[in-house]
Amino acid sequence: MNDTPLDFGDPADLDDLRRRFRAWLAEHPLPERGADEPLPTFLHRWHRQLHSGGWVGLDVPQVYGGQGLSTLHQVAISDELGAGAAPGIPRIGYLAHALMEFASEEQRQRWLPRMLAGEDVWCQGFSEPGAGSDLAGMSTTATREGDHYIVNGQKLWTSYAQYSGLCLLLARTDRSAPAHTSISAFALPLDRAGVTVRPLRAANGDDEFCELFLDDVRIEESERIGAEGNGWPLAMTTVSYERNALDTGHISKYGLLVERLRRAARDRRDELPDGLRSEIGRCFVDYEVLVAHAARRTAERLAGRTAGPESSYDKLLMTRTEQRLYETALRVFPEELFGDGGNGAEGGELFGEYLYSRAASVYGGTSQIQRNIIAKQVLGLPSAR
Amino acid sequence: MQAEEFLLVQDLVRTFAGRHRVESADLEPSARAAAQKALGELGLAELRGSSPPAATVQECALLAEEHGSQPLTTSLLGTVLLAPELLRLLGDGAAPEVGTTPTIALARDLRFPGPPGDGLVAWDCEGADRALCVAPDGTVTSAELGPAVPAADLLRGIRSVPPGSPAATVGRLGPEQLTHWQAYALVLLSSELVGAARSFVRQSVEYARERRQYGRSIGSFQAVQHLLADATVLVEAGTSATRYAAWCLDNQPPARALTAARVAKAEVNASALDAVSIGMQVFGGIAQTWEHVAHLYLRKVLLGTTTLATTADLLTTLAEPETAR
Repeated sequence: MNDTPLDFGDPADLDDLRRRFRAWLAEHPLPERGADEPLPTFLHRWHRQLHSGGWVGLDVPQVYGGQGLSTLHQVAISDELGAGAAPGIPRIGYLAHALMEFASEEQRQRWLPRMLAGEDVWCQGFSEPGAGSDLAGMSTTATREGDHYIVNGQKLWTSYAQYSGLCLLLARTDRSAPAHTSISAFALPLDRAGVTVRPLRAANGDDEFCELFLDDVRIEESERIGAEGNGWPLAMTTVSYERNALDTGHISKYGLLVERLRRAARDRRDELPDGLRSEIGRCFVDYEVLVAHAARRTAERLAGRTAGPESSYDKLLMTRTEQRLYETALRVFPEELFGDGGNGAEGGELFGEYLYSRAASVYGGTSQIQRNIIAKQVLGLPSAR
Repeated sequence: MQAEEFLLVQDLVRTFAGRHRVESADLEPSARAAAQKALGELGLAELRGSSPPAATVQECALLAEEHGSQPLTTSLLGTVLLAPELLRLLGDGAAPEVGTTPTIALARDLRFPGPPGDGLVAWDCEGADRALCVAPDGTVTSAELGPAVPAADLLRGIRSVPPGSPAATVGRLGPEQLTHWQAYALVLLSSELVGAARSFVRQSVEYARERRQYGRSIGSFQAVQHLLADATVLVEAGTSATRYAAWCLDNQPPARALTAARVAKAEVNASALDAVSIGMQVFGGIAQTWEHVAHLYLRKVLLGTTTLATTADLLTTLAEPETAR
């Protein structure tokens, strides 16, 4: 445990970066979303626009198409976007980290610049109908046949697969070895023969989550990421970055809603009951604690520590913040329970976001899995026999 | 402070805390006095007493965490870190009476003092003979101490301030200094409480590894593992909040630091108490006894949550945007 003083401050050049980004944003504002334009398509255009200004992958080395700056620089851009109520940078940070750590040099140069530029859109094929929390129990197989593999199986919760070109796919390459050494990772082009993508409609009406059916799909050996059997550590690195409070860019979005609640507490002082006003104060505390926690993690990361099992703390604190925030918001703005959110799922926009907040304790590893990780990997408690 | 120097000081406090930790709730007055004397010999009052201060707030906060990690009767906050800071803020004209050791005065319910005339107590007053009271308008007075006031926390010394005692005005804090002072006090108390919670949770994790039931260690049961994981999440939240707030005091305007400090205290009020309660649950029956240290931690954290600012005070204030924004 690091208990020496940390520098929670911004590096000196960050103010300048923020100023330059604001100036750029003033000249390249968020485009208009087309009347029938699906959100992912719109966000993809936004991604391309941000990339054209050099604002994507600031913490990725220049040789892979980034800017070679620190995580703090990328976080500052996310902050600025959030503060301006603009959509954030697409969530590619954790995929980029996985590739940087596990892919070969040739693969990094092949995929990373296109990922950052939005020329390739990636999705994540990890979970399966029979392997959710027990991810190592996956049954999708990649059987080697000379210089290629034949993949069979089914993936689930693959977000925005219908808008993606490549899938970071986990499959079992050895059925005899223990689970954690028999899984390999691949970059699967989704237009390949034998791949079927079927969107699922989520409780909030969105069709983010997809099923992926894989029937005798051919994957080349050159599309395998890292060594055969090395997929598990890659998956763990990916999810631990995914859980990290910094890489997800959610925090500034929470900040906007918290301030909206606090303004309501001030403007409707005589109308809102004391209990609800306290709950708004508590939401602000959660949010500020998360900001402080992320700043502490950043300082630790700059001091040379990468995301590990500690990111389970980040995920649990983020979940706590998000779920209490949306629950409280619906109590402050009960009118959001009525009306039409625009996608045929009844309830206002805030209600849709509330429904999505229920997933926070499930995706990226359930809260119970995070507690298991903390108990075993951080606290060193013994396993049950 | 240089990094090496800080590690030395931190180690001094850790060694001191290990040596003077109390083992049971039957406290000897002579041991209390001896421990306070030993603390005085560490010379830590210089950390914030000199101008400019020798240590940052973040460094002092980390030392307060160390002090909080053991059941100690010594007054690190009151006499070593808080009162010297107050005198430093007041400047040269405010030297206390020669030969006295001040701590700070709080309202009788242990919140920040109210208007003059409201009753006061001297808080965290082991080894102290005066108490400095900061009125809501920033006026600082020095009061005499009366007899001990029994309170739920057996470790922290509280004494009455006789109502008739003449209060000498020591000086007056400007508005920014007052804001800084409140933030500083909130952060250091929060740090001590989070240190206590972290230490007690660590002890309960160790106990869960050793204690066997049904032929296996209770720490192998998922129900117990999840309790302990939750306790450490709470400790991490409190730690991040207090260390960040301490950094704000060193690097941000006082108003921002006060908001961060209120957030830290509100978080710790809830999380330290919950974490200690979970630790006690894991210890089971043994932690319900007078002999066990559990209730010393619980008493300290419980009374600490009502000290300076209660959760209700803080959440009500934090519910609305800062006016100066």
